Amino acid sequence: MFRSQNTVSFERRNILILIVIALFAVLIGRLYHIQIVQYSRFVGIAEANRIRIVPLEAQRGIIHDRNGQIIADNKSQYNINIIPFEVRSSEKTYNILGDFLGLTKNQIQRRINHNWRGQFSPARVAEDINFKILTNLEEHKLDLPGVLYSLEPIRSFPSRANLPHILGYLREVSKEDLKNIKYFGYRAGDLIGWKGVEREYESILRGKRGYDYLQVDVHGREVGSLQDKEKILPKPGNDLYLTIDLDLQVYAESIMGSKRGAIIVMDSNSGEILSLISKPDYSPNLFSGIIEPSVWDKLRDNPDQPLYNRVTQGTYSPGSAFKIVAAMAALENGVVDSNWTVRCRGKYRLGRRVFKCWRERGHGRMNMHDAITNSCNVYFYNLIRKMDIDIWADNARIFGFGSKTNIDLPEESNGVVPDTEFLDRKYEVGSWTEGNKLNLVIGQGDLLVTPIQMARFTAALATRGKLVQPHVGLRYYNKELNKFILFSTEIDSIEDYSESTWDFIQYSMFDVVNHRNGTARSARVKGLKVYGKTGTAQNPHGDPHAWFIGFTKDRNCSIAIVVLVEHGGSGGSTAAPIAGKLFRYCYEKNINQMIVSSGNSKI
Amino acid sequence: MEILRFSGTRSLLKPFSNTNILMIILVTALCCTGLLALYSASLHIDLPLFKRVIGKQFIWIMMGGTLATIIFFIQRKVFLDTAYFLYLFGIVLILLPFILGKSPTGTCRWISIGTFHFQPSEFMKIFVILAIAKYLSSADISVSDFRALMVPVLFSLVPMLIILKQPDLGTSMIFFILVFPLLFCAGARLFHIFVILSPIISILTAFNFYTFFIWVVLLILVLYLSKEKLWVSIVLLIFNLSLGFATPVLWNKLRSYQQNRILTLFNVNADPLGAGYQIIQSKIAIGSGGLFGKGLGHGTQTHLKFLPEQQSDFIFSVIGEEYGFAGVMFVLILFFVMIMILLTSTYRLRDRFSSLVIIGIGSTLLLHVVINIAMTIGLMPVTGLPLPFLSYGGSFIITCFIFVGLVLNVNAEKPG
Repeated sequence: MFRSQNTVSFERRNILILIVIALFAVLIGRLYHIQIVQYSRFVGIAEANRIRIVPLEAQRGIIHDRNGQIIADNKSQYNINIIPFEVRSSEKTYNILGDFLGLTKNQIQRRINHNWRGQFSPARVAEDINFKILTNLEEHKLDLPGVLYSLEPIRSFPSRANLPHILGYLREVSKEDLKNIKYFGYRAGDLIGWKGVEREYESILRGKRGYDYLQVDVHGREVGSLQDKEKILPKPGNDLYLTIDLDLQVYAESIMGSKRGAIIVMDSNSGEILSLISKPDYSPNLFSGIIEPSVWDKLRDNPDQPLYNRVTQGTYSPGSAFKIVAAMAALENGVVDSNWTVRCRGKYRLGRRVFKCWRERGHGRMNMHDAITNSCNVYFYNLIRKMDIDIWADNARIFGFGSKTNIDLPEESNGVVPDTEFLDRKYEVGSWTEGNKLNLVIGQGDLLVTPIQMARFTAALATRGKLVQPHVGLRYYNKELNKFILFSTEIDSIEDYSESTWDFIQYSMFDVVNHRNGTARSARVKGLKVYGKTGTAQNPHGDPHAWFIGFTKDRNCSIAIVVLVEHGGSGGSTAAPIAGKLFRYCYEKNINQMIVSSGNSKI
Repeated sequence: MEILRFSGTRSLLKPFSNTNILMIILVTALCCTGLLALYSASLHIDLPLFKRVIGKQFIWIMMGGTLATIIFFIQRKVFLDTAYFLYLFGIVLILLPFILGKSPTGTCRWISIGTFHFQPSEFMKIFVILAIAKYLSSADISVSDFRALMVPVLFSLVPMLIILKQPDLGTSMIFFILVFPLLFCAGARLFHIFVILSPIISILTAFNFYTFFIWVVLLILVLYLSKEKLWVSIVLLIFNLSLGFATPVLWNKLRSYQQNRILTLFNVNADPLGAGYQIIQSKIAIGSGGLFGKGLGHGTQTHLKFLPEQQSDFIFSVIGEEYGFAGVMFVLILFFVMIMILLTSTYRLRDRFSSLVIIGIGSTLLLHVVINIAMTIGLMPVTGLPLPFLSYGGSFIITCFIFVGLVLNVNAEKPG
């Protein structure tokens, strides 16, 4: 029954041996491929497997006013991040996490997708969580693999002033900016300055992110720091000092109240902006972290346009304040001299059209000085009839109208200075008339200026031709060099006008404020020589816009002020009193001493 | 009846042929390598040495060595005589977990006696080899008769189905594959082996229309060329076709983890955190080892626990990561030499039973080595098959040493 002979065939055993050899050859070949050929690839994956790179967010530079008072500071907030690779059961993790955060599973998934930077990188799912949620998460840490929280600095605004249009705000970096070489190194989800100085001085304010390298196991548990990689500490951004005087800013905001419009208080000699207001505004605290979409939509869609910086972006008709340009053009080009008189009967007839003076019963006989102080329209109607529109436009451009002031705030408008070419283009050759000129000379019609252009113009009048570059950035403290660095600005000078023209304009503007008949008597300040000009710009949307531009040349107070109140009525009754209060405030505060001291020495 | 072969010390030294000495050296080298890898894998476990896996493994190796020594001294005739009885005993053992009740994880793989647990399916491998070897070497069967082949196929099919039910896909596969080298070497007709294999191929190809189509064409071609009786061919064809059509239906009845295990074979990256995750991490471990490895205790994949099952199924990956290509080549050469020795030693053996037992043992070890290593480098799905002499696990280590005992026993006899 049992075969005692070994009858197993040799041939078949040899085939079996060949199969063994073949199988081992396959294994060795594959091992060679993995371990030798693809070695570097797998080493890379193994490194990434064990290292968790934890970004350490850098503090943004603090923004001070010119005297060192803090306007924008930093505070810390806790954010929740998820490392997708380490989430074992997304269903369970998202449900537990969602319960704590008050989010649904889908919302969490969407946020992860939105902030996705790869399997191994943390994606943001929630910001500024409170301490209670944090302790809850800490308790359930073992149920939530891959869920991390990070401490990140955000903006806080300790001052009483709003000044959102100067500060601007931070938002998550846009896709366009990520492509911009200027913002190389930014990652999706990073905060970046979107407006104001946060944008303009982004490179100064932004710190450098640090990294911590942690060795982690498969469950995402930290098992120690890495020996061969040093932690890179974050470098905080540089502190920025603005030209703004915070006390003046607070005061200016208080007297502007709920009026809509703009205020600029500027040092005439340097272009340093001491106060800048664009109303309506919004609280910068809305943007301290990452703004909620609903709040953002509400701000953006608000018909009063609080996000819009009226000072630099808003274009308005300057009204009578622009008569000074015509006066100077006439004097300098010999069209008339200052003794040339016109009788104002309250209206000016051109063909069948009647152009009115603001004073219906007329001003009577006026020379140029009286026409400026009384802001007589008829005088200037007569004047412009004698003048080429292009001469007038050239003079407007000399003062920088029609072009950007290059203020250090993003998104500035050019304004419009119409000349023959412009009018020909707009109305076709020959179809515009002398009537257009009459409108332009009193600062109406197609002429459009920004408040900041008016401020530069006013400063030039005060300094007899210094064309400054208005700016809000004063200097910054360079943390690497350990010293303050002043921002330099360009100052052009206007050489086109003779001393007598300057004398005449300043004398006339002094009387606008101080003469018995002056339109801006409400801007007077006891003991201080205030010069100014009002403007009342008609507009199709309602009451006229009220303008006042003015300056002082006092040893203790040499500033230029522009006040614009949208639909405020006449410049003399609405804008001039605000300017008067500001002049008084600056005079009493001895503002010049401050300008000199903070500009030249360390704090 | 005399059970032990040798009585005097003089004859005790005689059986140590070159084959046996080499075998003992290979087994010792493999066990030491395994212990070293286990030492590394249990480096950060704060337990006394003998309470860690490495300590337990060492005890099992000692027990296995003792058992191998005992088997070495048993008369070979005893195995031949008790082969069928042992087989039945084994069947009872693998059925026992079903009677005793499921483990907390819902499997029926283990038998617990006090604190001692063992996996009867491992020992069943020995019994199946012995039973098939005995049957194929009996004088009153003709291996060229197809009906005679049905018994060995049944011998492997019964434990295979029971173990599939435990469920343990990897081990049950071993039982089925095991029968083919035995039939092949016993001299069965290739056509018969093809017929036995054909239903498996029908099932595997049934998931894709084109593969199944090619298979059916091939089947018809083989049936035609073999010049078998027409009715045999037709029955075979109909059987395979119906199997192919039924498979997709039956597939849906498989447990999802089994489906996943099979599916990940075809696309490892489809399921990064499931079975494929283990393979990815294992490949990373082995690949990052490079030529000479990261050194003992420096494998980040191992020590940061990225590598799953690193003490049992993926012990090879630990060696790959810490000792690199040099280390895995060392292990592979040890296994290769061992299997070659086993297969070539059968040339010198006197009888058919011994020869078939060695071929069965060699094939079993080969299957474990190839399937386990292929799994760690992503050539096969995660089957849960351990690596002989290296993977942690008492039942399998002892089974391997029983193999060694049988090999030494069989080779001790001088060729006739």
